[in-house]
Amino acid sequence: MLEVQNLHVAYGGIRALKGVSLSVQKGEIVTIIGANGAGKSTLLNTISGFLKPVRGSVLYNGSALPRRPDLIVKSGICHVPEGRLIFANLSVQDNLMLGAYLRNDKKAIQADLEKVFAIFPRLKEREEQRAGTLSGGEQQMLAMGRALMTNGEFILMDEPSLGLAPLLVQTVFEIIERFRSMGKTILLVEQNAFKALQVADRAYILEQGKIVKEGSARELARDPAVKEAYLGSRSRGGG
Amino acid sequence: MVQFLQQLINGLSIGSVYALMAVGYSLVYSIMNFSNFAHGGVIMLGAYFGFFSLTLLKLPFVVAFLLASVGTLAVAIIVERIAYKPLRERKAPFLYFIISAMGASILLENIVIATIGPTFRTYPEVFSKVPITLGPLAIGRLDLIIFAISAVCLTLLILFIEKTKIGKAIQAASYNVKACALMGVNTDRVILTVFGLGGFLAGVAGVFFGMKYTVYPQIGNITTKSFIAAVFGGLGSLPGAVLGSVILGTIETFVAGYLSSQFRDLIAFVILIAVLVLRPTGIMGKVTEDKA
Repeated sequence: MLEVQNLHVAYGGIRALKGVSLSVQKGEIVTIIGANGAGKSTLLNTISGFLKPVRGSVLYNGSALPRRPDLIVKSGICHVPEGRLIFANLSVQDNLMLGAYLRNDKKAIQADLEKVFAIFPRLKEREEQRAGTLSGGEQQMLAMGRALMTNGEFILMDEPSLGLAPLLVQTVFEIIERFRSMGKTILLVEQNAFKALQVADRAYILEQGKIVKEGSARELARDPAVKEAYLGSRSRGGG
Repeated sequence: MVQFLQQLINGLSIGSVYALMAVGYSLVYSIMNFSNFAHGGVIMLGAYFGFFSLTLLKLPFVVAFLLASVGTLAVAIIVERIAYKPLRERKAPFLYFIISAMGASILLENIVIATIGPTFRTYPEVFSKVPITLGPLAIGRLDLIIFAISAVCLTLLILFIEKTKIGKAIQAASYNVKACALMGVNTDRVILTVFGLGGFLAGVAGVFFGMKYTVYPQIGNITTKSFIAAVFGGLGSLPGAVLGSVILGTIETFVAGYLSSQFRDLIAFVILIAVLVLRPTGIMGKVTEDKA
């Protein structure tokens, strides 16, 4: 469904990605694991059109992606950014409706809104509240709900569990699985490698802008080198 | 009491013209985080467009008024395209935008000086100078019309921002442009809309300013006052810009009316600075709290 081919990206004089290739099949959850600064966010920002590659390409359903972020959203890829980036100055409902910005199918939008509220009842309770007043966990729910409202079939998620309490981290990963059961395909970037490998089908290990290892999530979770570097000896890993 | 009410009406009238200018500064600032000093030049052109539409083309007032506003809308968009878009595409630091804005402002002023000349011009009398008497009050027709039309324009602007889809996108972009693009919003179009709205109102403001005072190439400098009013109200906030402008206009007329017009700017700005020292974000500063 998504194919990244030999992607080179540089900004500010730094070569952030040095020939990254990966693919995601329809219905999969694929995770990218790597340390801070390995180039994970750069990869997602390039796929969603905010950074221009020096070389290489991103194919979506067999054709090259458009160059503008809004057109990329239109083609069905939505991005839940690191730090959530919810619109703190607007109400929860306005935030969700902005997710549906490109859609005109009023009935389907309403149905999706109901769906989002069914998954995140907390958002329904706070519908009229300004999004800036939500807790960190609720803001993450809102960012994920907003992504559902775009009705994109492919979701990029950048560090969805970052900064959340352990209980909420669990919820976030449950929701990711729920998204898959709704037919979404997910490319997940996570520092919590332990959790990410549990939920994912396949994984890529990104180090200093290069893919150094790839395989099924189960395999990689057992790989001694991966365990050593990303899961930590105390098996909790993450953080 | 009568004098007080009359001063208040004058203050509201000039304050509403400042507000038309201030929202243009505020809209651009809210999205692009820089002060678009070229806005003063656009307002000045609005005053000239209106003047020549009335005198050379001898158009009826309403047509001249609309022509001036559409003209400045176009100029504002052209300025964005030439002076800012290339910088946006290169993700230039904000300082470059401000320098580019100042350059555009000086350019517009000098184009007018070179082609039309530096002389002061007075608008023909469109509305009768005979005031409307309301009991003991004598209200200038022009003041009343300026206030009414400005209020309508500002109300329409706020409705546009609050009720339309692109308006919501403008609000979203004012909080975070990247996140706005992630929603599928064409942020380039949002920026054009913001310049278009500001430009249109600049034309309205320019015509009114010209009618109330005179037209000359340096009008743009006076619009700096409206910029300060926008800062005072809380740069980036539309209600703040309107409120700051109305307060500035009212203080100005009261000082001029009760003390002396020489003290007008002095006292007005001392008050503004005092408020800013106490409350640096202005009266209704942009909301920035974000727990994430």
